[in-house]
Amino acid sequence: MKTIWVIARNTFIETIREKILYAIVGFSLLVIVASLLAGSVSLGQDVRVIQTFGLTAMTVFLLVITIFVGSHLLYKETEQKTIYLTLTKPVTRVWFYLGKFVGLSLVIGASALLMGLVYVILLWAKTGFVAPANYWAIGFTILEAWLVVAVGMMFGSFASPISSALYSFGLILIGHSTTTIHAIAQKSAPTIRYLLEGVYYAFPNLEKFNLRNEVVYAISPNPTQVITTLIYFVAFTALLLALGIAVFRKNEF
Amino acid sequence: MIFTDLKLRIVPLIVLIAWSVAYISQINYDAWRYYSPSVLNTSFNEFIEPQPLSPQNTRLISFGATEFAANIYWLQLIQYYGGGTPYGQYRKLPELFDTVTELSPNFQQAYITGLIILPGEGFVDQALSLGEKGQKNLPDSWEMPYYTGLVYHIYKKDYAQAGAKFNQAATFAGAPAITKLFAGIYFKEADQRKKAYLIFQTVVATSEDQYIIARAEKQLAHLDGIFTLESAVAKYRQQFSVYPKNLNQLVTSNIIKKIPVSPFGVKYTYNPKTGRIGDD
Repeated sequence: MKTIWVIARNTFIETIREKILYAIVGFSLLVIVASLLAGSVSLGQDVRVIQTFGLTAMTVFLLVITIFVGSHLLYKETEQKTIYLTLTKPVTRVWFYLGKFVGLSLVIGASALLMGLVYVILLWAKTGFVAPANYWAIGFTILEAWLVVAVGMMFGSFASPISSALYSFGLILIGHSTTTIHAIAQKSAPTIRYLLEGVYYAFPNLEKFNLRNEVVYAISPNPTQVITTLIYFVAFTALLLALGIAVFRKNEF
Repeated sequence: MIFTDLKLRIVPLIVLIAWSVAYISQINYDAWRYYSPSVLNTSFNEFIEPQPLSPQNTRLISFGATEFAANIYWLQLIQYYGGGTPYGQYRKLPELFDTVTELSPNFQQAYITGLIILPGEGFVDQALSLGEKGQKNLPDSWEMPYYTGLVYHIYKKDYAQAGAKFNQAATFAGAPAITKLFAGIYFKEADQRKKAYLIFQTVVATSEDQYIIARAEKQLAHLDGIFTLESAVAKYRQQFSVYPKNLNQLVTSNIIKKIPVSPFGVKYTYNPKTGRIGDD
């Protein structure tokens, strides 16, 4: 456990030193603040515009960080040959992989908290009130990004950074289109229906973490929804980590 | 050494050439933009008319951010409506309202705005179907039937439908107290006088606003006048087998003592061929 934490801390420090991270986070903050401008030309719908623009900007930039850093994380270790130094120590590949996951998740969490803080301050300054639904949406967005970290690392364990980023992007797109896929499946012929339903259940359903539409109507999730989503998150992340570790253990450097 | 010297001389030269090319193209652009015949300035929308994707495709590429996509189209709609009518009509307006409300089915302001501006731009039927969609998606909103009723009144001149919508709107919490009164007036205009009478009675019995009560009482008195004349005409016809030639005959034949006066100061009209009482 201590080993995982040490690797996680190093990964965190290493990642937050990357200049590209500052550029992405900085740009996301700029977009969140710029939602004020968009809100001012929306015929009195400014709160609605600030909420959707702010939360969408947060999600997009978190996923960008996740995809680019996540897919690059393991590759960089092998490319710079730093992994040899680590693995000669009493560190198993499982701990190493998990440490990397926790470290990147911490980076994502920290970035999300910063973006969330700016968003909440902005909303509070505008309306004097921040509905709990906003906090739930931010929390669930962080969970989504953590799940995508596991996805990116799994692909990164066997593919090049660019392929891995593309695969992750595709998976996110599918993950958010599950409602449409399910709807199409219900209307299709039996063979296609089973195929599409297979896709529906096999891929992570990222729409479960999407509370960003409900925020506009200040609808908070009910406890059952929160618990099932948390269970889903833990199960799917464990599955992705297990798959990633299985591949990573067999890799030859 | 020679090579280094050459490089040092070449760099300013490249900078100079690059800057000159940039300057010339800027001049050229300005000449085209500001001094050429005004083709571009006719209208912003002529060249960038919105081309919204279908709601299903938008949903597919929105990564789940459907409310965000709806807001993007909402902002585009506002820009479009403020940009002038290049083709004599904002022909993309109904499609934009439809896309926004498909992506965000509970976006109340979008329905209301659509019901207010669409009919004025020549899209009366599209406005009415937007109103119906709004009523389906926001079943607790008094605004949906209220604004739909206004479209029926102003653009369709269908007072019976307008009355029905206002009557429906009046049943919701938060509806302006005057809604019920309007419903009665519309039914009266649509020649559904009995229905109108009942509505005015309800207004008098339930409203707390003294002005509205006074207006409803006046409407009741006005309708009472019509009903009195109608039954007098019927009685006359029963007695003499013909309709009276004018309303004065009802007084001279002692069926009524005098012709009622409308509290609104309008004269009751009479059609001797049909026996119909009007108030035009």
